Amino acid sequence: MARTVQKTETYVGSTILLVLVVIASVIFLEQFDYNSAILQRGAFQAERSIQPSSPITSSPNLIQYAPDGLNPISPAETFGPEDLSDKINGKAELYLSAGFVSLSTQRFAAKEDPEAWLEAFVYHMGSIRNSFSVYSLQRRFEAENLALSEFAYQTENALYFVHGPYYVEVISSVAREGMVALMLSFGKNYVSKTPVSHARIHELGFFPSKYLSKGSISLVPADAFGFERFDSIFTAQYNIADTELTAFLSKRQSQSEAAELAATYGSFLLAQGGTEVKSSLDIPGARLVQIMDTFELIFSQANVLAGVHGAENRKAAEELALMLREKLGEAGQ
Amino acid sequence: MLKGTVSIAAASALSYLLYDGTGPGRASEEKKLVTLPDFSLPELGGKMSLVTGADRKKSLNLALKALGGIETFISKGDRVLLKVNAAFASPPILSATTNPEVVTEVARLCFKAGAASVVVTDNPINHPESCFFLTGIEAAARSAGATLLLPNESFFHPTTIPDATLIRSWPILWDPFQGIDKVIGIAPVKDHHRSGASMVMKNWYGLLGGRRNIFHQDIHTIIKELAMLVRPTLVILDGTQTMMTNGPTGGSLTDLKQTNTMIVSTDQVAADAFGATLLGRNTAELPFIAKAEAAGVGTADYEALQPIRLNTA
Repeated sequence: MARTVQKTETYVGSTILLVLVVIASVIFLEQFDYNSAILQRGAFQAERSIQPSSPITSSPNLIQYAPDGLNPISPAETFGPEDLSDKINGKAELYLSAGFVSLSTQRFAAKEDPEAWLEAFVYHMGSIRNSFSVYSLQRRFEAENLALSEFAYQTENALYFVHGPYYVEVISSVAREGMVALMLSFGKNYVSKTPVSHARIHELGFFPSKYLSKGSISLVPADAFGFERFDSIFTAQYNIADTELTAFLSKRQSQSEAAELAATYGSFLLAQGGTEVKSSLDIPGARLVQIMDTFELIFSQANVLAGVHGAENRKAAEELALMLREKLGEAGQ
Repeated sequence: MLKGTVSIAAASALSYLLYDGTGPGRASEEKKLVTLPDFSLPELGGKMSLVTGADRKKSLNLALKALGGIETFISKGDRVLLKVNAAFASPPILSATTNPEVVTEVARLCFKAGAASVVVTDNPINHPESCFFLTGIEAAARSAGATLLLPNESFFHPTTIPDATLIRSWPILWDPFQGIDKVIGIAPVKDHHRSGASMVMKNWYGLLGGRRNIFHQDIHTIIKELAMLVRPTLVILDGTQTMMTNGPTGGSLTDLKQTNTMIVSTDQVAADAFGATLLGRNTAELPFIAKAEAAGVGTADYEALQPIRLNTA
């Protein structure tokens, strides 16, 4: 015998069907409101099927810094110390030795020029000293300095700058004025939207400015001059009497550590075949070592280790050492 | 009570039957060790041509012609593999990867010589599809009728090189070499932060699978072992533009120098030794060259090959 459907069952059934219709409608409408950065409906066909090696959800979104003229064409990605080399291969060691924390990257295409695209690389280096280190070691000297931040320059296809603990590279696939403007806008947006503490790198003021090659100061994080105990060494290029010279210094924990390190480096040079040369230089404890036709001059003052590296001209090296010592004194060292 | 006891007993029995006491083995261990064949043509001996010119296509053609033409190396019916450098998703203008124009021309010449097939491959770890697309290599390969083979996990099989210290039961990109008769390595000349230079021997690094970044700690030895691993038919070192600084990624056009040289050789050690001169470095500064020579891979004394020097002008 056929069972009679009750009104209550009809209402419940209709309500369920209605809810399903609403859900289906919402899904249908939402599919048109996609995030192009994640779905990658960009200019490049190959970008659509990319499976990111890092979870998109954990990546800081760089879209917020992109000016109006750019469209994201890839998801933001983040790399840590364990997989940085997947992204930049053999360059990873440079960053890892300088205290690398993470890298965020994303590609954008120009709206007005679909063939042109750029990629932003934001390296979190943990401190401004570390970000300055990787910036300084890759400095392009043919570049144009920018006022974007204390350390910033651009080339015809790329922008490089330090902002607090962040080292930022923006690299374009083409060298065109329009892309340079977009890269600069990206950089300005990044600086204005990313609050950082205004820490200073005091050692930059320890180098004498006379004869100093502009923009030549670098921070070598480890193994400077092939000596494994030389970490956190600042170097600067000088030109005295047509001779290229490299001055170096490093602030250590104590006066005794600076003196001990200077002595150990001197011994290292002698072990490498260097010979001690008597110097009349008026710097207490200074050592002059001749090695492979060049001179190394090493001394310490207060808690700073300092010297001149690989000088072909002894007289010029001694002149630079005196200038360096005087500047260290002025700086209260 | 009885039902509950029976249910527990049945579940326990099923669990026991399904229990795998050994657990899953490592994938690489399950695969047999493989060995890449020798793709070189010993009867040709050491050959090298050095062509000066800014036009890659012209330089390449002249360099090959100087060695007797592509037909010297590729025979009718050959299945050819081109190992390119597609390590990064970077644009061709940065010269961080193999120039697409060279890929197209080499593939075209192979087909012209009667090659049955030409495969283009590499193993960029991060987003191979993006790397091949953005470098222009995908379009270059397809335009010449070559087949692009993107790396797939199943393509990797372990290999061990006799007397090697690093490449031992290590996965390499194996499947694309199946049925291949000839192998041509094509690489740009680049500075490299770790090894000092990245040229044809370093280019084989892209055949490694696994967590290959650990080899950066002993970079010169791994390059030597890679050169022992692959015995190519021919190598092409593109020094038209050289990445002088900030390699291997570069990034700025100021990292590049127009060095206008195309190097083609049967000897990968000799090719790299000459490439070093474009970087302004000597072989002593690039220990992997001496190591590869000592391993019997080739000669660092490229002049001993009596290279044919030509100019496209």
